[in-house]
Amino acid sequence: MHRSFIVILGALGIGAAVFAASYFGSKRVAVMTMCPADDLSWLRTEYHLNDAEMAHIRQLDKDYLPQCAKMCALVAKRNAEVQAMLDGKANVTAEAKNQLIQLANLRAQCQAHMLQHFIAVSQVMPPEEGRRYLAEMEKITLGTHREVEQSMPAMSTGHEDGAN
Amino acid sequence: MLNYGGGANPAAGEPMKTNPNPEDAKLSGLLREARVSPPLPPRFQERVWRRIEAGETPATSGSWLDALAILVLRPRFACATVTALMLAGIVLGTRQGAQIAKQDAQARYVAMAAPDILR
Repeated sequence: MHRSFIVILGALGIGAAVFAASYFGSKRVAVMTMCPADDLSWLRTEYHLNDAEMAHIRQLDKDYLPQCAKMCALVAKRNAEVQAMLDGKANVTAEAKNQLIQLANLRAQCQAHMLQHFIAVSQVMPPEEGRRYLAEMEKITLGTHREVEQSMPAMSTGHEDGAN
Repeated sequence: MLNYGGGANPAAGEPMKTNPNPEDAKLSGLLREARVSPPLPPRFQERVWRRIEAGETPATSGSWLDALAILVLRPRFACATVTALMLAGIVLGTRQGAQIAKQDAQARYVAMAAPDILR
């Protein structure tokens, strides 16, 4: 019985090792082979795009990215200014409030520009895929704000009460 | 005197039919009496029944473990199990890897088109 127990234990060990080796090995190979080198390749596979659609989207992306980078730099600069203004201050000054409003406006402009780009990209795709893409992009880009807002029901009720 | 046949026996050479010699009959009786079977040990019958019952009892945990070990050591069973485990690992690993690759690719696209600072 002791010998049988050792045999079964050994068999279980070998089985687990075989499974783990093939699982982790194939997972690694899949990640390495399926991860695209190009940032836009995901669009092609996920939304089943053809070469012409991809070429159009590449052009839209080429036009959009420099503007996006410029806006990102502006937002980052304004953000740093606001941070510097608020650092070590006991209260929010009128100037700091003004800077915060300007930062929020700038960020909203960037978001509008970004959404405009997503709409343009979605229009290149087949209608159904375009709708799916736009919904996904809106969820990713604006969903975070929605989640934050929905996670604070007490606070929003308080605002409503104050407004009334 | 005992006569076991031969020499002076007129019946020698003929198949033995009966034993007319009364002394031989006496001897046979004595031999039968001398072949005494030894007395059975105490509770012999009970012990026999116990051994029969032990042979009929269902397999114990030790025996199923032994049976499993024998099965595991069969080359055909071992090969089939290893192949099945390998296939399951490859299928699950590939699926998981494809999922990770897809998520990475999506994250890269989103990071490029919608940087964190704008969200």
